[in-house]
Amino acid sequence: MARKMLIDGELDKPIEEETHYDFDLFVIGAGSGGVRASRFSAQYGAKVGICELPFHPISSEVIGGVGGTCVIRGCVPKKILVYGASFGPELEDARNYGWELNEKIDFNWKKLLHKKTEEIVRLNGIYKRLLSNAGVKLFEGEGRVVGPNEVELIQLDGTKISYSAKHILIATGSRAQRPAIPGQELAITSDEALSLEELPKRAVILGGGYIAVEFASIWRGMGATVDLFYRKELPLRGFDDEMRAVVARNLEGRGINLHPGTTLTELVKTEDGIKVRTDHGEEIVADVVLFATGRAPNTKRLNLESVGVELDRTGALKVDDYSRTNIPSIWAIGDVTNRMNLTPVALMEGTCFAKTVFGGQPTAPDYGHIPCAVFCIPSLSVVGLSEEQALENANGDVLVFTSTFNPMKNTVSGRQEKSIMKLVVDAETDKVLGASMCGPDAPEIMQGIAIALKCGATKAQFDSTVGIHPSAAEEFVTMRSVTRRIPARKPKTSL
Amino acid sequence: MAATSLSTPRLGSSLSSPAFQTLRNCKFPITFLSFSHYTKHLTSRNFSHSTSSPHPCRRLTTAIRAESTNGAEPPRHYDFDLFTIGAGSGGVRASRFASNFGAKVAVCELPFATISSDSTGGVGGTCVLRGCVPKKLLVYASKFSHEFEESGGFGWTYEAEPKHDWSTLIANKNAELQRLTGIYKNILKNAGVTLIEGRGKIVDPHTVDVNGKLYSAKNILISVGGRPFIPDIPGSEYAIDSDAALDLPSKPKKIAIVGGGYIAVEFAGIFNGLKSDVHVFIRQKKVLRGFDEEVRDFVGEQMSLRGIEFHTEEMPQAIIKSSDGLLSLKTNKGTVDGFSHVMFATGRKPNTKVDEYSQSSVPSIWAVGDVTDRINLTPVALMEGGALAKTLFANEPTKPDYSAVPAAVFSQPPIGQVGLTEEQAIEEFGDIDVYTSNFRPLKATLSGLPDRVFMKLIVCAKTNKVLGLHMCGDDSPEIVQGFAVAVKAGLTKADFDATVGIHPTAAEELVTMRSPTCKVRSTPSEIRFTVHNVKYLLILLDQGMNSQIKMTWSKKIHANSLFSGLPNHRQQQISHYFPLFLSLYEIPNLDKLLSFPLFSSSDPPPYHRDSRRAHQRRRGGATTTLTSSPLVLVAEALELLSSPPILGPKSPFASCLLILFPPTPLPALARMF
Repeated sequence: MARKMLIDGELDKPIEEETHYDFDLFVIGAGSGGVRASRFSAQYGAKVGICELPFHPISSEVIGGVGGTCVIRGCVPKKILVYGASFGPELEDARNYGWELNEKIDFNWKKLLHKKTEEIVRLNGIYKRLLSNAGVKLFEGEGRVVGPNEVELIQLDGTKISYSAKHILIATGSRAQRPAIPGQELAITSDEALSLEELPKRAVILGGGYIAVEFASIWRGMGATVDLFYRKELPLRGFDDEMRAVVARNLEGRGINLHPGTTLTELVKTEDGIKVRTDHGEEIVADVVLFATGRAPNTKRLNLESVGVELDRTGALKVDDYSRTNIPSIWAIGDVTNRMNLTPVALMEGTCFAKTVFGGQPTAPDYGHIPCAVFCIPSLSVVGLSEEQALENANGDVLVFTSTFNPMKNTVSGRQEKSIMKLVVDAETDKVLGASMCGPDAPEIMQGIAIALKCGATKAQFDSTVGIHPSAAEEFVTMRSVTRRIPARKPKTSL
Repeated sequence: MAATSLSTPRLGSSLSSPAFQTLRNCKFPITFLSFSHYTKHLTSRNFSHSTSSPHPCRRLTTAIRAESTNGAEPPRHYDFDLFTIGAGSGGVRASRFASNFGAKVAVCELPFATISSDSTGGVGGTCVLRGCVPKKLLVYASKFSHEFEESGGFGWTYEAEPKHDWSTLIANKNAELQRLTGIYKNILKNAGVTLIEGRGKIVDPHTVDVNGKLYSAKNILISVGGRPFIPDIPGSEYAIDSDAALDLPSKPKKIAIVGGGYIAVEFAGIFNGLKSDVHVFIRQKKVLRGFDEEVRDFVGEQMSLRGIEFHTEEMPQAIIKSSDGLLSLKTNKGTVDGFSHVMFATGRKPNTKVDEYSQSSVPSIWAVGDVTDRINLTPVALMEGGALAKTLFANEPTKPDYSAVPAAVFSQPPIGQVGLTEEQAIEEFGDIDVYTSNFRPLKATLSGLPDRVFMKLIVCAKTNKVLGLHMCGDDSPEIVQGFAVAVKAGLTKADFDATVGIHPTAAEELVTMRSPTCKVRSTPSEIRFTVHNVKYLLILLDQGMNSQIKMTWSKKIHANSLFSGLPNHRQQQISHYFPLFLSLYEIPNLDKLLSFPLFSSSDPPPYHRDSRRAHQRRRGGATTTLTSSPLVLVAEALELLSSPPILGPKSPFASCLLILFPPTPLPALARMF
């Protein structure tokens, strides 16, 4: 049964030194990163086992599902709801294009929820098939580390089995966190928000990150009253400030009530709903209160302390450039390491892990120029540096090119909402350091731009590319005049 | 109107010598500029910025005019440095830029109307008034019906079926066009370009006549664009062209669209979305000649699924108007009745009646845009206009660069592309790797509609450069723009692979294509490559080479067993070709790294036994007379297989790697796997 690995980097060692293990690799957690790492390791010839908790849309200590956060409680169901919510404003836009729509248009949340569940069940099946096609052995149950080369699996019936593995990979992801305020148990997290029985009429959201603004857009698009509370002046900390301001303006323009610089202090159950108190003394009653206040790595029940695996302050696994923990046989990828918590990054980390450990090519994931998207309505997408980051890192002057325009569709629909694009360029080298866009289709538009940035494209190369007319994206290659030139912070010393 | 020029050059006092050197090298010296014009530009231009600009001569042109004629001729006085005939995309761009470089510029244009003629046009030109813009607005309008259908799968219901009111749309569209033509006029005015309304005619190499008034110009630019062309067949007076189709008084109930180009497929999508009954008559088997073959197939299928009826290989012969006022279209294959409208999208012709001089024979006359019939796209006209202004007035002779010009077709679903088609790439580079992806997007899995997305990357086998990128599906034009920057910059497939995806999008598929669908090689030699997620390997070779493959690691399977579900005669047809020309190998260990040698004919032939036997049996049995070349037969065999149910996405071929020897443009085949 045990297969000989094609390349393990250790084939030359004398045979007597090779201990026999049940598996070459045992993976705990079958989300994006875990599935990718195990499949690719198996393709390199490794014998791989993987364990995952039973499937359910809402996760807990003992519930998960093959596919992980992205497929079951993240990107995919979220995007489905964003699609669903986008039709609301689309219908408004249709009128000036000559469409006569009856005032009575009905949105059936239960139907969408049902279809969403169908889809994630289907994807869950596909992921399981991917694993079995790759020859990876899937176990259902909770995995714990009991030794540097030993994993204990607690099966659904409570029985325990131990497996030995040459390498252990931890890819257990993360879970939504709740702030400790009185009445916090009345609130929900994004897990529940993706599976609510009823669509809320009045929703309160706490948080300024991407999950918060995405749900604000989703519920608003479906017709709910939405109040969004966040600590800072603008949502989406870490993104380009100008873009943050545009997102805030667009959310407001689409009817979301923003409460910047405000946090929630208490939730109280009343007959009319949940009464929400803010630190400014306001009170709002809502049907649903969503906490989108961050996620914490799933490391508590892994028994890591027994083997001395180091965690950081946030509870994330500490790893080196190759995703190895301080225990040489134990590795970790994805959200549980809290590096950059994105599905494609977990995939990259998984691929690099397989290459490093079983492909004979030590490969460190490259975190440069990773594009990302926020699926608020309209969406935001960025790659490379924000204007603020560019200024911080630049040695010389920074050129900022921006384009703010009314998308062609709005000229007839009458929607008052501008799209904005921005390129941040190093004045000396002409390299494009960062690109960002807020407007319809931004994530789709940004992917190709990301390749150009990854490869160090210059502004001249952007300019020499002919536009696709008429599109929004063509603005990225037709920004001829610089909007502002920002001098280097540190004055250059001239001798 | 006439310009007053300075009589004496102001050299010396205002020019430093290096700048003067540069200016003397000006290939296209500017002679006369009015003083008032010059000063206006002095004040309006930001000088601190222009010192670092790459156009050192532009602010100095006035001063050197007498010097640069080298004393050969006495300097002549002209009203304008540049007179542009036609204020469309190219003409406006060239005029504005020339003016920004310091030239004195006039442009003439016909009065505004939504439908063009010999006496009507309008500032903004085809793109703004009768092309890209109004077309896209109608595309937006028509797309909503598809969105209503989609929304059903996302929980939205309508008490009454949404109805479309044509007149609201046309009124709102025309209001927008009026606004845009106004904006274009302002752009010209703000750039200091003189706009003259009327029809421009060239009188001599330096004189233009506009409605009887003569203007002299150092350079004349012709940018009068093109106009739709309707072939002269009986009843062609009943036909409309795209100008008219964008501004019809009422919506067609049933429309015949003649033509298979981008205008035809775009209007087919528009009227289909607005619930007209749409019939498209095309001369060829497929729409969009010149586009990648697989894209042509794909878009035709998707449009058919949305209800458009294609009549292929049908040429119109006559339009007949019946007593009930409806039109019939007679073609070489028969007659289709009951059309409220017949639209011809059979090409456009350059508006060159104004021009009796060709650009090459008259050095002072230039032309940009559709009138030159190079690549007829707005951004190309903009590029040509910009390049011309640089050449003439910025001392920077600039050739437009036509490589990797991206383009879009706003069909439904739309197409975006940049770079070479598979056919062009094979011709130019020989050895290429083709990556394709044909998938059901997330939106369609919920909506339940049969929408799919097709993507294709063509990669040079030798250099790893991405030569071409093609996509058909939602948002293609928006998606392709960024990739066009990458392709234009000469980036490689490895660069694509190194880029992290944006999840979940359609576009991320283009950076996550791991294994090629098809490898085309001109010479048989050892090939090593990796195979992921591939179950079958189908090798298409010509007769001689088929027997020379050694594949010890795989099991050859008899093709017939794969097609047992088919009617008998189809099975016979297939088995007729298979043993001879196709080798189908099942790869026993899925998802493993593989490499295998292919031996050239000079090597000792390590015959695969099964294959050899089959080969001999065919020959000996003499059941077939081979009249076509083997590859044509292969194509036929595969065409047999191409219809459902064998080669749908669920067939065993869905994950199949295809290798073609020798390189042959058979992309339609590759798609099937």
